[in-house]
Amino acid sequence: MASRQAKRKRGMTAWSGRKRSGARVSLRQEDAALSARERRWLRQLVACGGVFVVIVAAKLILPDRLDGLSSQLRAVLEQNMDVREVFSAVGQAAAGEKSVDKTLDEVYRAVFHPQEDGALQTASPAVVPEVSENAAMDSLRSFRTQQEAADREAEASAGNLAYVLYSDQNLPENVSMEQAILGFSYCAPVGGTISSGFGYREHPTEGEERFHYGLDLAADTGTAIACFADGTVKAVGESSSYGKYLIVSHEGGYDTLYAHCSSIDVSSGTEVCRGQTIARVGDTGIATGPHLHFELHRDGVYLNPIYYVAAV
Amino acid sequence: MWRRYDGTLHISGGFWLLLGWFLYANGWWLLLTVLAAAGLHECGHYAVLRLLGARVVSMRVGVFGAEMKTSGALSYAGELAAVLAGPAANLAAGLLLAGAGEPWIAAAGAQVVLGLFNLLPVRPLDGGRALTLAVSWALGPAVGERAAGAVSGCAAVALACGTVWLMGKTGGSFWLLPAAAGFAAAAWRELAGKRSFL
Repeated sequence: MASRQAKRKRGMTAWSGRKRSGARVSLRQEDAALSARERRWLRQLVACGGVFVVIVAAKLILPDRLDGLSSQLRAVLEQNMDVREVFSAVGQAAAGEKSVDKTLDEVYRAVFHPQEDGALQTASPAVVPEVSENAAMDSLRSFRTQQEAADREAEASAGNLAYVLYSDQNLPENVSMEQAILGFSYCAPVGGTISSGFGYREHPTEGEERFHYGLDLAADTGTAIACFADGTVKAVGESSSYGKYLIVSHEGGYDTLYAHCSSIDVSSGTEVCRGQTIARVGDTGIATGPHLHFELHRDGVYLNPIYYVAAV
Repeated sequence: MWRRYDGTLHISGGFWLLLGWFLYANGWWLLLTVLAAAGLHECGHYAVLRLLGARVVSMRVGVFGAEMKTSGALSYAGELAAVLAGPAANLAAGLLLAGAGEPWIAAAGAQVVLGLFNLLPVRPLDGGRALTLAVSWALGPAVGERAAGAVSGCAAVALACGTVWLMGKTGGSFWLLPAAAGFAAAAWRELAGKRSFL
């Protein structure tokens, strides 16, 4: 009876069972070359080693394929619903601050459009192929197209369109080449040279023609980045392509994005004013040298920042 | 993969893995919030069990949640109270935190979400167990088992499909995988497997 209990304990625990089981039982089992548990461990070790060897071999034999696969895998792994937003929406409902349908709407948005804030996924040239296959992004895009159409109508009536520089039939759908009248004062974020403009270009690291959604201003690492205009910091974050970035929202539905920063001096929710130092130039993320990648959005549509940066 | 700290607490390796994954995907703040909600949930169960004089013999924490083993028989009413105490503690804490205002709003949401999740009528979640107990109490254990099995099985199928759909739709959120697997296993157990009561 005692030995049976001891045996059962051995089955359940890793170390304490062995100590407690006593010489009588363990001697008999160790006569066999390997105990059942040791055999299981050995099998696990062999399986893990096998997986390791296969991956190393695949990396050596098919480096390109595996790179593609790993970047695809990384994109899928990083794709994530915004759990915190879900919790916040539910918490606000519990506090009685929001009606149920508004809460459901917010939860839906946090789950299916977690990147909507900065439209980062569509903007990032490096991530576009993975994301374009994503059904969630398609619905987001169609939503944006509708919004864009609504915006265009509003503009036509308001007449706040200065002129259209050129019309390109092949523009991505969420891009507008027009020069909008901002309606607030602004300044150039960095006094550097323009190293890459808004529009189609050969991607510096991927080597193929892609749309560049912002303006690259080359400057030394540590150069102060001035805030484009008065506003509120909407998001501060870090991504594989953008590096350290922040988004500031301004009046009239305009947002500016500052990417590849070496450091960021403000936090989300901070009120900032025009010309205030909000970050420092760097080369974090996908960058071939220190520069500021500057984007201007209006209600999710990418505008060409050149009109507002070069003129000052 | 069971790790044993002392005679009463088991925490599975899979649980640590899930913890790490959730941390990677969502960060420290959310991890602590969710763990606090889960801890409070178990405290709710524990408090009522102790109040009713039952003894908690062991606790197992795995990827599908925590499970307590108790000694001592409980009445239907007593067990129902113990089962519902966990979600009740979460919902109460949720309302309390929501009342406390801004920095606590998201934590309140976490409590409410966890409480409501556990009230889903799928065994072994609290909602499914409460359903079994309530029907058994009213109409006898045979009816209770059949009714709870049918409801739990159908709900589990729907939730498993829903979770997988959600992962597909968000194109990731892999930490939901244990939930999907748990629902699928529960559906299988209820609809196809042998029916061993509790």
